[in-house]
Amino acid sequence: MRNLLNFLLKYNNIIVFLILEGIAFYWLTNGNAYHNSRMVKSIQGLTRGMEERITNAKNYLSLRDVNSGLAEENSKLLNRLEQLSLVQDPGFISVNDSTSGQQYNYTPARVINNSVNKQKNFITINKGSLQGIKPDMALTDGRNVVGLVVGCSRNFSVAISLLNLDFRLSSRLKSSGYFGSLTWDGRNPRYAALNEIPQHISVTQGDTVETTAFSAVFPEGIGIGRVSEIKKSGSDFYRITVELFTDFRQVQYVNVIGNLLREEQLELESQYQ
Amino acid sequence: MINSILKYGLISVLLILLQVLVLNNIQFSGYVNPYVYIIIILILPSLTPSWLILLIGFATGLIIDLSAGSPGMHASATLLAGFARPFVLRVIAPRDGYDPGSSLSMASYGFRWFVIYATAIVLIHHGALFFIEVFRFTDFFRTILRILLSSVFTLGFVLLIEYYRKGR
Repeated sequence: MRNLLNFLLKYNNIIVFLILEGIAFYWLTNGNAYHNSRMVKSIQGLTRGMEERITNAKNYLSLRDVNSGLAEENSKLLNRLEQLSLVQDPGFISVNDSTSGQQYNYTPARVINNSVNKQKNFITINKGSLQGIKPDMALTDGRNVVGLVVGCSRNFSVAISLLNLDFRLSSRLKSSGYFGSLTWDGRNPRYAALNEIPQHISVTQGDTVETTAFSAVFPEGIGIGRVSEIKKSGSDFYRITVELFTDFRQVQYVNVIGNLLREEQLELESQYQ
Repeated sequence: MINSILKYGLISVLLILLQVLVLNNIQFSGYVNPYVYIIIILILPSLTPSWLILLIGFATGLIIDLSAGSPGMHASATLLAGFARPFVLRVIAPRDGYDPGSSLSMASYGFRWFVIYATAIVLIHHGALFFIEVFRFTDFFRTILRILLSSVFTLGFVLLIEYYRKGR
């Protein structure tokens, strides 16, 4: 009897272990980014306040860099404005109708949680569905790719970072226009890999890699990085390492880019696929 | 009894806060991520029933998961560490067995014993955690390297905190 009880007690532990491990793995395999982010948002209220405070302090320390970045972007935009007004001035009647001609709209947001040291990194920003953020919007730091929104609560959104094993981005070489897909291999937050570039075209070190509009998410020509290493693998494709423009360790302010014509494009494409 | 439970609870809360608010925010490199909350499993008294260790392990992992936004990774790894704990203790038992009343600390059983014990549990925990995180066996040796480097840092923290506990 005593032996039996002992046996059952021992057995019990394994049962408890298996049940709990089962729960954990169920969560692990079913908890995709979206559901996960929703559930986490409701519970993270606990640490949210503190995290915001830590982020505030960090932001203050790097105001100088942010300022110079903004100033640079400002001057670029001013230049662009000048060019546009030159074109518009002589004689033409230009219709400046933002509702019919505009394809992308931009919303500024602040990064309140970010990581680069995991294999699957996510970014939390301080704008959500109330501010018009929706899943599948693009995230840039003003000039360069940062990530892609995957889930929104009312006031926050979670975006999958480019530094995530699950992230794939349609991208092309600016010089030749050949496109491939960009992935991160989980090693170094400064580098990503550009795949599916065929070996018969010439690629040189320093070539710019930018986005294509194929995914109907990113506008065309957003910068990604610079080719830093080219290897010929056994297959028909190069193995290209790209040094990313964005320093993910210090991304603080981002632009959320929504494609107003995305639904239309996807609907049309779905009829033929 | 009540006193020691309170003390243990306080230590656990402090460790979880340290992990969530400080260590999870350190972006050292992709290779070093110390997870010191495993001390919660390490220092449970030797008398603790196994099912309670499992529950505490699972709950700890759950809290870390929820605040780090990772699905079930820490919960399953910490649970495994809690499950392995009795076996590890049995393998490295000192000659006169364990003193039922004492906690499993460096002060009670000595430096050598504690380092072996902590190393075993930390390696089990980190091993499970990092393999669950990548969820694949490609880049096997890189994952092993991450496990080893992170374990070294975690052990450093564990010994630091253990020395502090011993000193008081």
